[in-house]
Amino acid sequence: MSGSPLVEIDKASKIYRSPRGATTAIADVTVQIGDGEFVAVVGPSGCGKCTLLKCVAGLEPLSSGEIRVRGERVDGPPDGLGAVFQRDVLMDWRTALDNVLLPAEFLGLRRADFLPRARELLGLVGLADRANSYPWELSGGMRQRVAIARALLCRPVFLLMDEPFGALDALTRDELNVELQRIWLAEKNTVLFITHGIEEAVFLADRVLVMDRDPGRVALDLEVALPRPRPIAVRDEPAFAAHTAKVRAAMPRAGASRAA
Amino acid sequence: MSGGASFRAHLVDTLWVVGVFAFVCAVWEFAVKAFDLPVFVLPPVEDVVADLLSAPGLFASHALFTVGMALAGFAVAASVGLLMAFAVVSSRILDRILMTFLALLHSVPKVALAPLFVIWLGAGFEPKIAIAAMMSVLVIVVDAVAGLRSVDPEMVNLARVYRASPLAIMLKVRLPAALPHIFASWKVAISLSLIGAIVGEYVGGQRGLGYLILVSQGSFDTPRVFASVLLLSVIATALYYLIALAERMFAPWHVSRRAGGH
Ligand SMILES: Nc1ncnc2c1ncn2[C@@H]1O[C@H](COP(=O)(O)OP(=O)(O)OP(=O)(O)O)[C@@H](O)[C@H]1O
Ligand SMILES: [Mg+2]
Repeated sequence: MSGSPLVEIDKASKIYRSPRGATTAIADVTVQIGDGEFVAVVGPSGCGKCTLLKCVAGLEPLSSGEIRVRGERVDGPPDGLGAVFQRDVLMDWRTALDNVLLPAEFLGLRRADFLPRARELLGLVGLADRANSYPWELSGGMRQRVAIARALLCRPVFLLMDEPFGALDALTRDELNVELQRIWLAEKNTVLFITHGIEEAVFLADRVLVMDRDPGRVALDLEVALPRPRPIAVRDEPAFAAHTAKVRAAMPRAGASRAA
Repeated sequence: MSGGASFRAHLVDTLWVVGVFAFVCAVWEFAVKAFDLPVFVLPPVEDVVADLLSAPGLFASHALFTVGMALAGFAVAASVGLLMAFAVVSSRILDRILMTFLALLHSVPKVALAPLFVIWLGAGFEPKIAIAAMMSVLVIVVDAVAGLRSVDPEMVNLARVYRASPLAIMLKVRLPAALPHIFASWKVAISLSLIGAIVGEYVGGQRGLGYLILVSQGSFDTPRVFASVLLLSVIATALYYLIALAERMFAPWHVSRRAGGH
């Protein structure tokens, strides 16, 4: 279901240098993401998932290689981007609603035009009654949900999500997985989704990338050809289990690469 | 619930201040009586109070002038200081130039410059405002720069994702994050500006509590000197709480987090 590639990651490497030494976060990563494709990335902690996302977002320069979005070399955030970072980074001085409205303000769009959508999105993540709460009055999971609503505000054509559901309980997580799939089916945007959950990755994605570490690289690129829309019960089907088994088998064991 | 607790905390604070103040007055009174000090050395407390009450209009008009000079100087320092901090944070070159310039200014005892300002600006309110501003600008810039740089880099990244302009990042991301630092520096700066205003009144002009202290000293009117100093302490305290009030209004998230003990 993927069209022409929206994102081309071409032999991308990123080395962080500090006086204490150099860390190769990702090495020689080559991946293409089709227009409208949903790609999930799983991998052990420290394998360079955040780094990959930052580079694709144009927030960190590569050490070598190239990333192109719509054929153009990335050297700053591309057009139509939306992002959820691993930490929620809400502004303490703004209410939940005002935090959700931030992208419109930054993009120079009229706030009033987005007010109904902001409220709708807050409702979608189950926070309709907390629109006027300040971030410090919210729980960790609530804060994360505000961050998700914020990322969706301006209908991004390219959505980057770094463990967006990490701080949520299993039930809310399931609900939001279904909701995210619905939004993606409706808006047909391209999504790069980082997660620690293998089931979550297989449930949501068209393709699952498994990353290995030291240095960070792609170990498996698995197509998930399950029909859409996928109900939450799809996870009990043998076809689903076959996919998760493949991903699990490709996941590097904890500490394995270091012990060698 | 936190309202009641904070009210009690305020009450306890106030009682402490009143208690210590009463103790100081008692020691003062005791010293005067025990050592039989002459009035021009150390007047008894009641003489000072009596002098204050004998000429409320005079004290009020001089006090008003001093407060005006201090506030004007502080306002100049706060606005110039914030603009300088923006410049320092936005450009490496301006950082070098301005911080070197401020370090230079810091190394000069500003009080020693006061007579020069009278030569340059006359005996009106200009030199007083200038000295009051100079006294406090450094602490304001240094703290504002620290505050503007303290912002979570991930928050700047988020703003960049949505293509925020450098100006928007400065005003909507860095500035609010810096407000707690800025208010902390203002609490110090306001009393430095008050000192600057008094120094300005010492060296020129015929208005303000600094001037009143100087002429009273000339005629050995020690109760009046003490009355003026007492008034200045009250003013300094009031100005401090004025800033604290502004902080409560403009950085409520910071104040309530502090009170909430997060
Ligand atoms: N700003 C940085 N400076 C130096 N090293 C960094 C920096 N950011 C990440 N690294 C290093 O790069 C490697 C990959 O980090 P990254 O945050 O991309 O991992 P991750 O896969 O997102 O991990 P997690 O699942 O724990 O979030 C790690 O070894 C980390 O120490
Ligand atoms: Mg990460």
